[in-house]
Formats: sequence, structure tokens, C-alpha cells
Amino acid sequence: MAEEILEMKSIIKDFPGVRALDHVNFTLEKGEILALVGENGAGKSTLMKVLSGVWPYPTYEGDIYLDDQLVRFDNTREAEEAGIGIIHQELNLLPDLSVAENIFLDRHPLNKFGGIKWEQLYDNAAKMLSRLNMNIDPRIELGDLTVGKQQMVEIAKALSLDTRILVFDEPTSALTESEINELFTVINELRASGVSIIYISHKMEEIKEIADSVVVLRDGSTIGDKIKIDQVTLDEIITRMVGRDINDLFPNHDFDRGEKTLEVKNISVPDPFNPEKKLVDDVSFSAYKGEILGISGLMGAGRTELVNAIFGVYGKKSEGEVYLNGEKLKIKAPADAINNGIALVTEDRKELGLLLDKNLVMNMTLPSIKKFSSKLAMDNHAERAVTEKYVNELNIKTPGLDVFVEKLSGGNQQKVVIGKWLITDSDVLILDEPTRGIDVGAKTEVYRLMNQLVKQGVTVIMISSELPEIMGMSDRIVVMSEGKKTAELDRSEADQETIMKYATGNKGVE
Amino acid sequence: MKKFIKNNGTFIALIFLIIILSFLSPSFLSSRNLTNLVRQVTINGIIAVGMTMVILLAGIDLSVGSVVGLSAVTVTLLMQAGFGMWLAILITLVGIGGIIGFFNGFMSAKFDIHPFIITLGVMTIARGLSLVLTQGVSVPVTNSTFASIGSGYIAKLPSLIILVVALALGIWAVFKTSIEIKNGEKVRNKAKLTGGIILSLVGFVSGFLIFIGYQGIPIPVAIFVVIVMIGIYTLQKTRFGRKLYAIGGNEKVAWLSGINILKSKTMVFVITGVLSAASGILLASRLNGASPNLGDGFELDAIASVIIGGTSFMGGVGTITGTVIGAIIIGVINNGMSLLGINTFYQMIVKGFIIILAVMIDVLNRRETA
Ligand SMILES: Nc1ncnc2c1ncn2[C@@H]1O[C@H](COP(=O)(O)OP(=O)(O)OP(=O)(O)O)[C@@H](O)[C@H]1O
Ligand SMILES: [Mg+2]
Repeated sequence: MAEEILEMKSIIKDFPGVRALDHVNFTLEKGEILALVGENGAGKSTLMKVLSGVWPYPTYEGDIYLDDQLVRFDNTREAEEAGIGIIHQELNLLPDLSVAENIFLDRHPLNKFGGIKWEQLYDNAAKMLSRLNMNIDPRIELGDLTVGKQQMVEIAKALSLDTRILVFDEPTSALTESEINELFTVINELRASGVSIIYISHKMEEIKEIADSVVVLRDGSTIGDKIKIDQVTLDEIITRMVGRDINDLFPNHDFDRGEKTLEVKNISVPDPFNPEKKLVDDVSFSAYKGEILGISGLMGAGRTELVNAIFGVYGKKSEGEVYLNGEKLKIKAPADAINNGIALVTEDRKELGLLLDKNLVMNMTLPSIKKFSSKLAMDNHAERAVTEKYVNELNIKTPGLDVFVEKLSGGNQQKVVIGKWLITDSDVLILDEPTRGIDVGAKTEVYRLMNQLVKQGVTVIMISSELPEIMGMSDRIVVMSEGKKTAELDRSEADQETIMKYATGNKGVE
Repeated sequence: MKKFIKNNGTFIALIFLIIILSFLSPSFLSSRNLTNLVRQVTINGIIAVGMTMVILLAGIDLSVGSVVGLSAVTVTLLMQAGFGMWLAILITLVGIGGIIGFFNGFMSAKFDIHPFIITLGVMTIARGLSLVLTQGVSVPVTNSTFASIGSGYIAKLPSLIILVVALALGIWAVFKTSIEIKNGEKVRNKAKLTGGIILSLVGFVSGFLIFIGYQGIPIPVAIFVVIVMIGIYTLQKTRFGRKLYAIGGNEKVAWLSGINILKSKTMVFVITGVLSAASGILLASRLNGASPNLGDGFELDAIASVIIGGTSFMGGVGTITGTVIGAIIIGVINNGMSLLGINTFYQMIVKGFIIILAVMIDVLNRRETA
């Protein structure tokens, strides 16, 4: 039996209207990779925030023992000094500062006048990064890195603090396939050097691959004890999580292709930083009533930019034509797209999807505000009623309709974004990574909903980086690579290898 | 209780201020002084209503003081030139307030320039225009109807009727808004109900003592109250108000949700321009003329009222009710210090500190809830 380095005993954490953690017990061993799983709003992030000092002592009840010593942190700083690092669900870095400054934040090496010794700072940062086998220039601005690289910087930052326990809260939801592999290599090396890791994820295959053991949270309580990963099947874990069996992750829909609805021709989007390059290069496709069109590709392939161009995000800067039911649309801004019955569930919920310090009602009815108001006044009863309906339908876990959406768990926030666009009753619904950060149970709910919409005659277009999701749900798949459309596949001809082949740039025969 | 104090901090501060001043200066509570005080508040308050909307959008309008001056000058000169009073007022509201506001809003929204820059420029331009139009000297106007807009009163009996009607409306509104929906059922919020009724009664009694005790309701105060009512309704109830909170909350999200940012922003600056022009007209009426430097520094009082009233500089959070309380606080401080014989130079210093204090409270509050 390895030595236990962390024990959390009977942790309780209350928020107004909800008990987020209810007598949670939790242990971690040296060099263990422990997966913490559970539905959206189960309390995973909250438990980790208690551990890492985000919620200081008297705001929770219960005891935390590090190496059998009772610890009570007043702030994250103290937790860091005790060797606890956390990579938050929403990244926590400063995009305008250099990589090195981000790593050492307020722990710069200083000369005797109090000035920063820049060379030493960059050297130290380079050393930290090379420990991770990362080839990142510590001088460049963090904002210029991909999300995956930014995450590596967060890890480097944690390691620079002699971290013994490192928490990853849904680290891979924004990473590319190869970045995920890099991350796993790093995690395994960390374990080998004796660091213990707590790993939160909704991706079950990942957990099977990386974790030693798993703990399940449901409604703020642990379900069963910690189990070794090889003594349990994924289905058993899922059953523990959601309290019922999910036998059909990708529910079938009888696809019955109707007439052509959306047709886009020759869409191009220039790269704002490099006029020679195009983010989207002359892409055309059609979508039909009664089908789900998947758009696949690696991250950075231009999928988000493609749908943004359709939605009018770039205004005059993008080229191409959009037809709906045979009619050419003039879309100069998102408002025009919405008025024509096109909805876009954006990828980045925090920056693009939600008014974080506004309540659910205001968020959900924003794009369809006209439906809930006359020239003179908002119809508050109607908008509350419809919000309530979608809160129930999407099973959004919230203490009420008047809470600010920033208080919801990440997955429930995602559901609010989806709900907000469902309320518009659009003919074409475009979803950009719609299931990012939501739990398995909720995923099937979203899939069911997509099927239901398709049945009602809505044209659904889904971008996804998860191949099983693309293959499980789409009737047809457009594959993109480096801004170009490389393939358009039927459900029957789409398998993992074929999609990957086109996604990595094999143009094949059109 | 703690929450109550936090949510109503400025209001409680105002009550304290009034109590302290009434001890320090016996004439503070006289009907005459209070009537004057309220009338002074209206000039700044009308501008501050518009400024609230601008700051809700995380913007700023530095040109309001110059618009006050230019409007006062314009309306006076138009009447001197023989235009009828109403026509002169209309031309000033639309031609000065409306057009300057449109320019401010359109330029900053269309070309994505911070309104600080645009309105700073316009502030100087409008002031220059006033000086050019008047050749740098005061211009008088003699028109008793015009004068009565700024300095007249509504007679006591109609004033009383207005107060009674207002009380009835207030209580009716409290009854309507204290119903909340919980778990699909309508529940009456008792605390909100009693609080609202007490507030309505206090308002009625003080209105009675102040105005009926003196000469009736000053006409500019009546105009101000109507503007405030419309402002509150616009922000709380209309689609336009909802859009402003959304844009202030996160402009990008609002835009992606189909809101026309250019239109809303331009509209807000037009409203502020027109309200500033109205304020300038009231001032010209009260002074029977205008001087080109009229309204100098008014932007500071308006911004201070908004910030003291709890509107966040970051946008998206704030109410007109708060701004009105902020404007009254500024008015009480000005009035109180004058009564106590404090030099206006010191008054400026005190006001400056109060603004900083208000912003500190805003920042600290936010940190606590974050
Ligand atoms: N700051 C907060 N204020 C109020 N309630 C909160 C706050 N943070 C979390 N909650 C509530 O606590 C509960 C647990 O949230 P938590 O973020 O821990 O869930 P989670 O398991 O991480 O979910 P997800 O998988 O969606 O990220 C939720 O009901 C959430 O609404
Ligand atoms: Mg979470």
C-alpha cells in the first residue's frame, strides 16, 4: 500500500440554495492518478476549489489532512506553498504577458534595485518548459499560443512551485488529439517523479487510459468507494454517475433527407495576421432538411471560422454566398442570420456565449428578445415561462432562474447556451462543439434533442472534435483540413481512419 | 440586515447626511431651502439620467456640460432672433442635443473609438461654438412664459392633487411589482411590499412638507420626475433597456445574439444629448439668458451622481433610481456646504474625495461577491 498524502474528511460546502458538497470523504496516494468523475454540477470543481484554497476555511466545513497534518488554507497562495496546484476548468492566465512572466507571476528574480532580472527569468522559464519537453519560447506573449500550449504553461507554473498534488479540471476539452497525447506523456512522467494527480474529465475513454483509480461524485456525495480502474468497466462508472444505465450513447434517428435548405458557396475567410493565408479557403457545401451534417477536422482546420462566416461574424471581410431554401441571403452581421432563421451555438461559452453576471432568463431569451416583448414592454411572465421550460427540458441544475449563470457549473452553463439558441426556433441550427464539458448523461440528452429537432424539420449542423460523436450522430460528414474542404462522406463510408486521413490533409479524390 | 445595508448603502448615507446637516444648520430643513435644493438637483439629475445609460454601456460622455452651455446659448439667441418659444426649444433639443448626441454615438460605435476621445473633442468644439455664437459675452432674453419654465411653480392645489395621484400610483406599482414567481406560483414578497409602501408614504409626506409648505412644486422638478419615471421604465421594462444591460454585460455576446450595437449606442448618446439640451434650456430659462461658459464642469457632477448611485464603470450594472439618489447626495453636499459657509473651492475637494470613495466601495463590493 502506497503512502497516503491527502485525506479530505467530511467536507461540506453550501452555496445559496444548494449544498454543493455533502460530507465528502476523499483520499489520495503518492504517485496516484485519480480520476474524479460525475455529472455536471455534481461538485467536482467545488471539491477541488476547497482543496486548493479558492474557498478558504470557514466557508466550508470538514478537515483536510496533508501528510496527516491538518491544514486550513486562507487563500490559494497558501495551498500552493503547501504543494497543491490546480489547472482550472477555465484557464487562469494573463494573455498579454510573456510566457515566462505567467510562469513566475509575482516571483520574478530581482536585482538589488528591485528590477527584474529578465535573462534569468527567461532562463528559469525555459528550464521549466524543457522539463515538460516543451519547445516554447518563454519570451512570446501567452495569448499567441494555442490553448494546448497555454495549458502546458499552466502546468509549468504549477511545477515551478514544487507541486506535489496537481489537479486537472477538464484539461482536454479544448485540446487537439496530439496535444492530448503530449499532455498524457507529461502526466505519466509527473507520476513517475512522485507527483499525485487528480484528474477531472467527462471523457470516459481518457479516464480508462490515464487513471489508476476513480472516485464518483453525484449530487455532492461520493457514490461508493474509490475503485481501481482495472476492476471496473466504463458502463459501471457511468451507472454510478448518472444513477441509471445508459445503453445507447448515440440514439439513432431515422434520417429522411428532405429538400435542400442551406447552401453555402465559395466561403473564404482571410487570415487577419497574414494576408497570403486563408483560414477558410473556398468551401462549399449543402445541408438538407431532416439530416444532421457533421463537420470534422483537427483543431485549427477552420471549422469555427467557416460557420462564423456563415453567421455573419466577419461582415464584409469574408467572401462567399449563403442560400436558404433557394434564396440568397444578405448577411452582414449575426442579427441578419438570426432573422433569417439561422442559429449558432458558439464554441467559447465564457467569452461568446454567456452574459456571466446576468441571470438565466436574460441569457436564454437574449437572441429571441423580440418574441418576448412588444414595442413598449418586455413580457416577463412569458420569458420566465419559456426559460423554465428549457431548464427542465435540458435538465439544467440551478437553484433558480434568477441566479447569475457564472454560479452554474461549467456543463450547466453550456446547456444554457444551447437553450438560448433552441428558444429562437431557427430553421438551421449550427452547433460548434456543443457537448464540450457536459457529462455523458447530458450528452445523450443533447443528442436526443438534436434528433428531435431533425424530426421537426430543422437542419442541424454540428462541429465536433470527437470522432465517436461525429460518427455516431451525423448523416453526412464534411471534413476540413487547413481551411479547405477535403472530403464529404456518407455515414456508411465514414470510419475513423478515413476521417483522420482527410483531416490530416490527404485531399484524395473529390 | 448586512445585505440590506449593502444594497441600500447610498440611500442610508443620504439619510445620515440629511440628519447631520439638519443639526449643523437649522435652515437646512426649511421648505424654502429644500425646494431650492431639489430644483438645483434637477439640472444635474436630468443629465445624469442619460449618463446612467451611457455608463451602463461602459461608455462616458464628457460633452454634456458643453451641450448645456451651447443649448442655453442657442435657445436664447433663437428667441432673440424672433423665433417662437416652443420652436426655439424644439430646434435646440433636436438640432443641438440630438445632433451632437448622434455624432458622439455614431462615431464611437461605428469606428470603435472610445467615447472618451470623441466626447472630449466634442466638448471642446461645443464650448468653442458657444463662445463664437455669443462673441464671449452673456446674452439675455426677456420672455415671461419662458422664464416660468425654469423658475415657476405649479399652484398648491394642483400640486397637492399631483402628489396624491403619485402616492396612489406608487402604491399600485408596489403592489404589482412585489409579486414574485416561485416554483411557478405567485408569491407576494412581504418585505418588498411594506418597504415600498413606507417609501411611498415618506415620499408623499416629504413632498407635502417641502412643496406645499413653500410655493408648490417647481416646474423643473415636475419635468425631472417625469424624465426619471420614463427612464426607469425604459431600463427596467423595455426591450431597449434589456439590450443596454446586455451590451454593457458583454458587447460581443450581445452582438452575436443579434443585437444591433451601433443602433443602441447611438440611441443612448442621442438621449443623453437631448437631455443635456433640456437641462441647458431650463438653466437659460431660470437665468433669463445664457453665458457661453454655462454648464462648465457639469459632466463631473453627472458622472459622480451615476457612480455614487452604484452604476459600475465596467458597464452592465446600474439603475436610474441609484443615480437619482446619487444626484440628491451631490445636491445635499453642495447645498449643505454653502449653508455652512464653506468656500466653493473646498467644496470641490470634498466632492472629489466622495467620488473616489464611491468607486472604492463599488470595487470592494465586486471583489467580495466575485
Ligand atoms: N460560486 C458559486 N456560487 C453558487 N453556487 C455555485 C458556485 N459554484 C458552484 N456552485 C454550485 O455548486 C454545484 C456544484 O458545482 P461544480 O462547479 O462543483 O460542479 P462540477 O461537478 O464541476 O460540474 P461540471 O462538470 O459541469 O463542471 C452546482 O450546483 C453549482 O451551481
Ligand atoms: Mg466543473
